Amino acid sequence: MPTVLQNIFRFILLVLFQVLVLNNIQFLGYINPYLYILFILALPVQMPRWFLLLLAFVLGLTIDVFSNTIGMHAFATVFVAFYRNGIIKLFTNIEEGNNPTPSFHTFGVSAYVKYVIVLVLIHHSTLFMLEAFSFTHFWIMLAKILLSSLVTVLLILGIQSLKTK
Amino acid sequence: MKNLINFLIQYSVVFLFLFLEIISFTLIIKNQEYQKSVFLSSSNSMVSGMYEWSNSVVEFFKLRAANNNLSEENTALKNQIINLQNKLSTLKPEASDSIHFRIPPEMEYQFISAKVINSSTNKLLNYITLNKGAVDGIKMDMGVISDEGVVGIVKTVSTRFSVVIPILNPKIQISCKFKRTNYSGGLLWSGEDYRYANLTDIARHVELALGDTLITSGLTSTFPEGIPVGAVEDFKIKESDAYYRIKVKLAVNFRTLSHVKVINYLNFQEQKELEKKSEE
Repeated sequence: MPTVLQNIFRFILLVLFQVLVLNNIQFLGYINPYLYILFILALPVQMPRWFLLLLAFVLGLTIDVFSNTIGMHAFATVFVAFYRNGIIKLFTNIEEGNNPTPSFHTFGVSAYVKYVIVLVLIHHSTLFMLEAFSFTHFWIMLAKILLSSLVTVLLILGIQSLKTK
Repeated sequence: MKNLINFLIQYSVVFLFLFLEIISFTLIIKNQEYQKSVFLSSSNSMVSGMYEWSNSVVEFFKLRAANNNLSEENTALKNQIINLQNKLSTLKPEASDSIHFRIPPEMEYQFISAKVINSSTNKLLNYITLNKGAVDGIKMDMGVISDEGVVGIVKTVSTRFSVVIPILNPKIQISCKFKRTNYSGGLLWSGEDYRYANLTDIARHVELALGDTLITSGLTSTFPEGIPVGAVEDFKIKESDAYYRIKVKLAVNFRTLSHVKVINYLNFQEQKELEKKSEE
């Protein structure tokens, strides 16, 4: 079962990278990429949805414990996991019985880019809105959402384009 | 009945989704209580252990700045010692013979030095984790300062670690005053930039100047009087306003913060009890 091992490995690596490196990036005070969401984006397409949701919850809660934001990341990550399959159906036409892992190769470049952008925007919007919890800081919040999403999307696309196959 | 079961099976994923989201949301709402339950915050020993390890690597790159600070402080302290020795030698003949033990006012405050092992400056609610805890004598609500100025207030304490709410968190407000005119107000972070905060409650008749120094007021028992907080960077007042809008440049650079001192106010208990008694 190489896919399972690969995903466990990816989970640990992304959590460590997020907590130890990315959470310390505070460029201009607005940019704080949340790359760990790549774990949810890169799970196989036909994975049972209940399992996907549980994995998302565990991932979010792990990040929460490390960054003192109990519940926020869990909420945003479960939210993304729930809408993932709908968005895959919207942009691609994968046949029944196939179970590809999302990438440039399997989705096609434009579909994959759209898929990443939409899901990252959903995730970051939910997360930053929960963090602000009011609309008094609306413009700061909007700037944070857009700039951080941009950096996260670029990071994800960069990492994916490095993969051979 | 069969229809109901079918319905439940068909929408089981949606129910799971709602269930998980409700759990997450409850956790967020109850965040306050969860901060106290040290288990899930970063005082948690496993998480703190990991942060301490990661910090031991990062600390390496901050050594030069820390060294400079230490040597500056060292010279200041040495000067102070010489001054005090001179004063002491003039006072010696008339040593007091008081029987009652009393902590003299200038020794009411003790400092516990600690190191920052985790901090954030880019969130709306920022926190700092220190590597000292209840074992080292740290308690809730103690003030935290660095060599540069005020940092924040201790929020939660576990046996070996503690979490501080810095000025960069709208949950606390620091009472401070102008060094020049003695007018006091509350310092509140605006949520935008880790270098600046806003000063409130300064009425329009107060005279201000750019660069005026702000120090702690000493009106709360958390901080003694006179610790630097920041300097006035910019101020505005509209015709219709009764209070100034003052932008303050903070004295502490929270991005490079590594060594801090926790203030232990020895007469805290006595003061609290007296104040309570007089209210009854």
